[in-house]
Amino acid sequence: MPMYQVKPICGDDIKIDLPTCMYKLPNIHAQQGNSCTPEHALQNGEVDPAVKALEARQDEIMRKLYELKAAVEGLAKTVTTPDADLDLTVSSSLSSKSSNATTFKGTTDLDTLLGKDLGALRDIVINANPAQPPLTLVVLHSLLCQRYRVLSTVHVHSSVTSVPPQLLSCLGPRHADSYARNMFQLGFTLIWKDVPNLQMKFSIQNMCPIEGEANVARFLFKLLAPYPSDPALATLIDSWVDRAFFQLAKCSGKEKATVLQALNSSLGRNPWLAGPEFSLADIACYCCVLRNGLTSSLPTNVQRWLNSCENLGHFGPAKLLLQ
Amino acid sequence: MAMNFTVSISNPPLVALLAAEHVKGSVQVSVAEGKETQFHVSDEIQFNDASSISRYLARMAPALGLYGANIMEQTEVDHWLEFSAQRLCCQPDLAVALGELDKVLSLRTYLVGHAITLADLSVWAALKSNKEWPSLGKSFSHVNRWFSFLSSQVPFIAVGNKYASNKAPVNKS
Repeated sequence: MPMYQVKPICGDDIKIDLPTCMYKLPNIHAQQGNSCTPEHALQNGEVDPAVKALEARQDEIMRKLYELKAAVEGLAKTVTTPDADLDLTVSSSLSSKSSNATTFKGTTDLDTLLGKDLGALRDIVINANPAQPPLTLVVLHSLLCQRYRVLSTVHVHSSVTSVPPQLLSCLGPRHADSYARNMFQLGFTLIWKDVPNLQMKFSIQNMCPIEGEANVARFLFKLLAPYPSDPALATLIDSWVDRAFFQLAKCSGKEKATVLQALNSSLGRNPWLAGPEFSLADIACYCCVLRNGLTSSLPTNVQRWLNSCENLGHFGPAKLLLQ
Repeated sequence: MAMNFTVSISNPPLVALLAAEHVKGSVQVSVAEGKETQFHVSDEIQFNDASSISRYLARMAPALGLYGANIMEQTEVDHWLEFSAQRLCCQPDLAVALGELDKVLSLRTYLVGHAITLADLSVWAALKSNKEWPSLGKSFSHVNRWFSFLSSQVPFIAVGNKYASNKAPVNKS
C-alpha cells in the first residue's frame, strides 16, 4: 500500500513528436495500473526471489575466496619456514653432498670468513682465457662443492669465438635447482674471455679486481681451510705457489730443472710440499707439472709425490680440461 | 733471537727492507749486506725472494696488519704483490700498469683498506727502483699523490736514503 500519493506533475495526454531514429521507452511519469513496484515490496519486508539468489551466490563466492586464502597461507608457511616438508625435500638433495667432505677440516662458516651476509648470493666471478685453462681453480672448485652449496655456471664472453666442449662443461652439470639462488651459499661463475691475465671479481664494493691465477687460488683455498698459523709454514705455501706459477709454468728449461730439483729435496724431508699436511702448495705445483706435461723422467721423490696426489682423487676435473 | 737477513747490495729487495723497517719494534731482524738476498728462518726453511720475505715478516707481526685484516684484504695484498713484481718492472707495459694503478688509487688513500699494508710497500718499492717512474710520474696524478705521501714517512725515507741510491735497474723478485 503506497504511503504517499503524488499527483502527476503534468497530464498524461501531452503529445510529443518523437524522432523515429530513437528507441522507445515507456513514460516514467505515466501512472502504471499495478502500483506495487519492487521498492515498495522491500519496504514491506518482502524479498524478491531474484535478489535472494544473488545474495546466495555472493556468499558462496566469499566462502570460496576464504578457503583459497587459507590454502595460500598454508603454502607460504611451508615455503618460508626451514623445518617444513617442502623445503626439506629440495634442500636435502643439496646438503647431502656436503656431509662427505673429509679432506679439509676447519671453519665452514662463510660469515666469519667473508663478513656479514648481505642477503645476496656471494658470487665469485672469474674471467679466464680459454688458451690457458685455470687447472688449479677447477680443482679448488670441486673441493668447494664438497664443502658448500655452490651454484656454478660457465659463460662464453663475446670476445671469444669458439671454446672446446670440455671447457664448457668443466664445472660439472648444471644444477637442477639453479633457479633458486637463495638456496646456495656461494656462486662460482666462470667466464671464458679474451683476457691477458686471469681475473677474479668479488665483492666489488670494497675489493679491486684480483689478477693472477695464483692469487685467486689462494683466496679459494682460504675458504676451504685456514693457512697454517705458523708464519714460516704459511709463507712456505705462498712461496711454492709463486714458484709453481712463475717458474714451473713459464720459464726456460734450465729454471724448470732447478725448481724440480728443489721440489725433490723438499719432498725428501716431508710427505707434502709444506710439511705433513696436503696444502695449496701441492695443488698448485701438481697442476703446473700436469699442464707442462713434465711427467717423464722426474726425480724419485717428485714421482712418489705425484702418485700420492693422484691417490687423493681431487685432480679429475683438471685432467678433463687437458684432454 | 734475531733472524738473519742478508741483502744483495747490487739488487736490494726494497719491499722486504721496508717490511723489516716496519716490524722492527716487534720482530728482531739483523740485516747484513752480502752477494745474494736470503732470509734464514731455520735450517730447513729459507726464503730467497722479496715477496716471500715480506710475507713472512708481515705474518710475524700480525698486530700491525701489514697483511690486511681479513681474507678479502689478504687477497688484495696478494694481488698487489704480484702486480708490482710482474707488471711494474717491465718497461713497455709500465704506462698501462700505471693507468690501472691510478684508477684504483683515485678513491683511496692506501691501496688496501684504510692503513698501510704490504701492497703499499711493494708497489712503492717497485716504482722507487724503476728508472722510468720519475719521468712518467707527472701524468698519473693519483699515483703521484700516493707516492709522495708515502715517501715522506719515516720508514720510507730511511730505506730510500740507504738503499735506493744504488740505482738498481729493476727490482726483480
